[in-house]
Amino acid sequence: MKRFKLFTAVAFVSAVVLLASCGRSKDDPGRVYMPDMAYSRAVESYALLDSAKFTNDPARLGKDEFIFYNSKPVEGTMRVGELEPFAAPLEDSAGGLYTISNATKNPMPPLTGQDSVETARLFNIYCGVCHGPKAGNNGPVSTKVGGVKNIVATSPTYSDGRLFHVITYGQGNMGSYASQLSRKQRWMIIQYIRTLEEKPAAGSTTSVAVAATGPSVVKADSTKKAN
Amino acid sequence: MSRYRKFFQTSLVSVLLIVIFSFSNSAVLAATGEELFKANCAACHKPDADMTGPMLKGARERAPNPEWAYKWVNNVNTMVETDPYAKKLLATWGSKMTQFNLPKDDIKAILDYADAYTPPPPPGGGTGAPAQDNSLLFGILTLILAVVAFILLQVNSSLKKLSDEKDGVFRSEPVPFYRNKAYLMTAVIVLFCFAGYKTTNALIGLGRMKDYQPKQPIYYSHKVHAGTNQINCLYCHSGAQDSKFSNIPSVNVCMNCHKSINKYEGPDELKLEDGTAVNGTAEIQKLYDYAGWNPASKKYDKPGKPIEWVKIHNLPDHVYFNHSQHVKVGKQQCQTCHGEIQEMGEVKQFSDLSMGWCINCHRESKVDFYNTKTGEGNKFYSIYEKFHDEMADSVRNKNGKMVENPHRLDSVTVEKIGGTECQKCHY
Repeated sequence: MKRFKLFTAVAFVSAVVLLASCGRSKDDPGRVYMPDMAYSRAVESYALLDSAKFTNDPARLGKDEFIFYNSKPVEGTMRVGELEPFAAPLEDSAGGLYTISNATKNPMPPLTGQDSVETARLFNIYCGVCHGPKAGNNGPVSTKVGGVKNIVATSPTYSDGRLFHVITYGQGNMGSYASQLSRKQRWMIIQYIRTLEEKPAAGSTTSVAVAATGPSVVKADSTKKAN
Repeated sequence: MSRYRKFFQTSLVSVLLIVIFSFSNSAVLAATGEELFKANCAACHKPDADMTGPMLKGARERAPNPEWAYKWVNNVNTMVETDPYAKKLLATWGSKMTQFNLPKDDIKAILDYADAYTPPPPPGGGTGAPAQDNSLLFGILTLILAVVAFILLQVNSSLKKLSDEKDGVFRSEPVPFYRNKAYLMTAVIVLFCFAGYKTTNALIGLGRMKDYQPKQPIYYSHKVHAGTNQINCLYCHSGAQDSKFSNIPSVNVCMNCHKSINKYEGPDELKLEDGTAVNGTAEIQKLYDYAGWNPASKKYDKPGKPIEWVKIHNLPDHVYFNHSQHVKVGKQQCQTCHGEIQEMGEVKQFSDLSMGWCINCHRESKVDFYNTKTGEGNKFYSIYEKFHDEMADSVRNKNGKMVENPHRLDSVTVEKIGGTECQKCHY
């Protein structure tokens, strides 16, 4: 009897140890020491909101016991250091008029020093992926996306406000970049495009070449738009 | 006498077992080399191929003398102007390596790791199998040795019994091994050590999620996007340079490209960690369902809903971490903390995000300190007058004469400007 007990004890202990030594699976986030210190009680970014307590429907604001929260800035407010909102709506492009856009002036001065380095960096990240680092249409995904416009071939005929409309609302295959670039950054990128334009003007042969490739690319893009 | 012998036997067995157990720790050295490599070098070097910098395999043999590499890592800035081989390297590679301040042992560990590096087998052929094989081997070895030791002890006691009988010494019937106190005690001690080790490790691991790799609602491959297609991390995670959080991109950012790209035609085979093939085109279709995009009419004509991605890198609420501080000011590569994300099909947590890991980096990383002479560096640091004094080439001695600064400060680490103060991250 005693022997049996000893055996059970040993077997039990080894089983416990073996179980404890098992690693956790890779989709198990594990445990924490102090949950009240590890998990925030305040609403954090990307936290799921309890639908029994919160609502994101502006129509219900202040009407029932729900807490209204839609993580958007309060209407009529602006972030510190951010520029005035763009006056032109998406519909400004109707009929190719762009009247409000064309009337909007670029609030950012031409780029100098550190600003031009920073804007070139932004351009390479957000625009260069399709349009190429020097707007040469040789970005890493430009052939995959297809129909990418040569910026510098068309931009001289576009006003700053018109370009801002394109970056803010998108055009053809291109989407809106308003969520990735602040208004200030978008205006700075337009200034940067203006510095890129100046280069072909130096050698007349290259500017002709750019002009020759320009329209065909535009055509490819406009067929996409018609679909 | 026999009592002493028994004691001797017991201690022999325990020592043997302890030695066997500590064997499994020999992998620690190799792991350190790998970790150091990933933390310091992996942004520009590969162990077995050229990248931004040359491959590290055989770096010591290529250098003019074996000690050259150790000198180079810590003296890049001076050697690049004086050393002929360094000048040649600069001419070949076009950019200067970042100067480090690593002890020689660490550099040796990194280069040893690179020399011994063998590329992992292609996915599907059982990734991670080698590591498991090793521990299994150690386990079997331990078991065999333990059985051999046990048999030898049994033989010894039988022989002793025989010789005692021959001598006419009376001995009581031997106790069976499972009631032998020496054996039991050894087993208990071994179990105690093993369970203690496991328990301690489990407790240290509480709240740490290294290798956490949950299943995401859409199979999104960072390897395809950031690796093959070279899309900058900040294209999607644009908030990392401006805010505390590195944002998870909203669906409209995906649709910037996927409006046109509706099929997967890339060169990489898409596979889950367990080797199951993934249909890339079907995954893009999932994205369209979330976005409410109709690829036939090229319009958003269905109600969209946000994608509930599973957040992998979680810090406890009592730790303050700011992405923009590290990405924009500290100019850290994403890969420093998140590993080689451009190689990951499914993302997993690369570092354990423990406090020791944070502190280590703060001790080693140098800030972009403002250089009063050249005007280079971050101007914010111009307010650290004491360090500027310590970094001066010459100082006034007791007699009022200018002499060469005997304790000239070379660089300023994050720790020196208060990067290891509790309140910097906990408040």
